[in-house]
Amino acid sequence: MSERDMLEEIRRSIIMGHLDAEDEGFDGSMEGTPGTVELVEEALEARTEPQQILTVFNAAMEEVGRLFEAGEYLLPDMLASAECVGEAMDVLEPHLAGTADTQKGTFLIATVKGDLHDIGKNIVITMLKGAGYQVRDLGIDVPADDIVAAVKQHKPQYLGLSALLTTTMTEMETVIRKLKEAGITDVKVIIGGAPTSEEFAQKIGADGHCRDALEAVEKLEALRSAS
Amino acid sequence: MIEITGRPPELLSAREKDLIHAASCEVLETIGVKVRDPKVIETFTKTGAAMAENGRLYLRTSVVEQALASAPETIRFDAPAPEHAFTLDASAEVARFGSGGQALYLLDRSAGSWERRAAGQEDLVRLLRLCERLPYLDFVTRPVECDVPKERMDEEKARAFAANTTKPMNLANLVDPSKLQRVIEIVGSESYLSFIVCLVSSPLTVDDSAVERLRAVTERGIPVSISSCAQGGTTAPLSEAGELVQLNAEVLFGIAFVQTLNPGAPVLYRGIPLTADLFGDCSPRWCRPDSIRRLTLATELCRHYRLPCCGTAGVSDEREPNAQAIAEKALSLTYVALAGAQYINSAFGMLERVMTVAPAQYLIDNVIIETLAETLKKRHDLTARQAAQQVARAALARFGVDLGPEAESELEAQVAFIEDGREEYSRGALDRELETIGSAVETDGGSRVFMKSSRKGLRAGLLYTGERIQGELDLTCIQDDLESL
Ligand code: B1M
Repeated sequence: MSERDMLEEIRRSIIMGHLDAEDEGFDGSMEGTPGTVELVEEALEARTEPQQILTVFNAAMEEVGRLFEAGEYLLPDMLASAECVGEAMDVLEPHLAGTADTQKGTFLIATVKGDLHDIGKNIVITMLKGAGYQVRDLGIDVPADDIVAAVKQHKPQYLGLSALLTTTMTEMETVIRKLKEAGITDVKVIIGGAPTSEEFAQKIGADGHCRDALEAVEKLEALRSAS
Repeated sequence: MIEITGRPPELLSAREKDLIHAASCEVLETIGVKVRDPKVIETFTKTGAAMAENGRLYLRTSVVEQALASAPETIRFDAPAPEHAFTLDASAEVARFGSGGQALYLLDRSAGSWERRAAGQEDLVRLLRLCERLPYLDFVTRPVECDVPKERMDEEKARAFAANTTKPMNLANLVDPSKLQRVIEIVGSESYLSFIVCLVSSPLTVDDSAVERLRAVTERGIPVSISSCAQGGTTAPLSEAGELVQLNAEVLFGIAFVQTLNPGAPVLYRGIPLTADLFGDCSPRWCRPDSIRRLTLATELCRHYRLPCCGTAGVSDEREPNAQAIAEKALSLTYVALAGAQYINSAFGMLERVMTVAPAQYLIDNVIIETLAETLKKRHDLTARQAAQQVARAALARFGVDLGPEAESELEAQVAFIEDGREEYSRGALDRELETIGSAVETDGGSRVFMKSSRKGLRAGLLYTGERIQGELDLTCIQDDLESL
């Protein structure tokens, strides 16, 4: 296969949300055929320029975004494509090491203590991975002290907090207070979840509020370019 | 209370129910439930359950069978006014209806339009008083939570109930289990009380915060509805068969916990298999035809076990009272009641996928349930399909909505979707679902696995894509009551 064909295959595979050979893809018919991960490995073996592959990722996600906006794609389709990019980035990254595009930053996220809701958080994770961030998921029901400890350990640029209950959203304030008490001021905290709002974010001293996963990507991009 | 006549929907055959039961037991035995709480681990390891290093507990089928055998078939619900007390009998053909929710918002009618605002303590009191007036409301489940600090929530709620309710009281949640004794003292008797506990959160994870609560009420023998609210496409497979298998396993795990702690303690089976709105923001679809079908299937499963059944019906997806909301409520209440739920929760006032409650909607729902009662009284031989269509038509007519040919065919299509199965119920098909569930629980945040695997089902039409029923509501028939609100 020529390099051009190979890159086109990768593009198509991402658009079809076909992760790997075990994945059934867009319509359940693609199991057993090479997916994005295998295709990227193949391209790297054939000495395709990693930067070129990265360009294809971006182009493919743009097309997926367009299909989503047009209503042709549903959220699971977009997530599947974002997951392809997220996973393929893990394969590509060692080959790109040091170039500007891999340095989008690390994002830590948790659902706060007492709260088990994770559907929204998981969507946010997939979308941010797809957008090229290094994402670490601390899981659900995470005590403030554990979050602070994880921030100390991983030194992320961004921390995301999710809460779905009026009884647990106050825990976000506790996390922010404990971060301050620990002298951590260089992590940007953004929050989300149904009962939260921009007002609430301001009140508790967070750096931003996200209505949904797409806004989370936008907010991070904005914070990144501001810094 | 209404007498249930007519023919049950029987969407699942006996063979299909057996298959689901067997697959749920297999889920509990081989995929297991993630548990951290030492009390749950201790309770079940005594029964021979194995605890794996990955934090999953594998429950033996014999423990489930034993629990099903020891759970009582009748439950007494007392009330401050003795005429409102009742005994729920798992084999009786009657349905009782209650409020429910924990909505975040309250919707009021003001100068001809609807106004939405955050709900709180005063609204709780107002809604409890309204519940007193509604003849078809048999028990009261707390519709909104008190907006007071967490430490005071249980007592404030109990006080609101004690002062404003004479019907059986389902307080639903207990924030602090150590407050149970105080709550009992406030309401006057523990025999008035019942609760709802979701011990296992989907997929297959014990909610640590629920354990103490469940233990506290179980040890005192207070009735408790064991709940699972799975969402096909995000927290469970999109396939209805796969979702039912997982949901049933989650409820059975909770029932087994209660029965192992206190054999014979009163439990209700409360399975809420919803679908996720994968066309939109993934929040749950409560009352689209796909969800109504699944709520009916869960009711049938519960009846199969001869357990007292806490059904869920009438939670509209609509943001405001309108014709579509009436149709959704009429269809879901009819199907769930005819499938055999004896204790139907959330049947009043609920809008916007449990996010909003509207006093006016309570009045409308009372009319819908009255219409259901009258329809079933008039003819005893209706099929569920006929009954649902008649109730929807008659309820809409009471609010001035006459269905034109387009709306008629939409109603037909919705009912057909509820009735007609789209999936294969075979061992092979269920094995594939077990595989999906197994891989979802192994991944952090199983919703990614479920969402991805939903793509095929979405394209195969597992979620209803029809229209909504339109029409201007004429609220004259509830005008007097509306004004008194
Ligand atoms: C940067 O960081 C970011 C950025 C953006 C972020 C972000 C973080 N986090 C979220 N976002 C944003 O992006 C996401 C993607 O677009 C969005 O995420 P969302 O999470 O908002 O949206 C999701 C994609 C879809 N939405 C959801 O997934 C939530 C749906 C609803 C129905 C819901 C569900 C599904 C569940 N629940 Co619960 N639940 C409800 C919810 C009602 C509703 N309609 O919202 C709500 C939140 N629950 C409620 C309740 C009461 C409860 N729930 C409980 C349990 C559950 C289930 C386990 C059954 C299940 C969760 C399963 C799971 N694995 O997550 C219990 C609590 C358990 C606990 N300790 O957490 C329990 C207490 C019920 C009980 N009595 O046991 C209510 C809260 C009421 C209140 N006053 O706080 C509730 C509003 C429903 C209701 N009206 O009763 C954005 O908010």
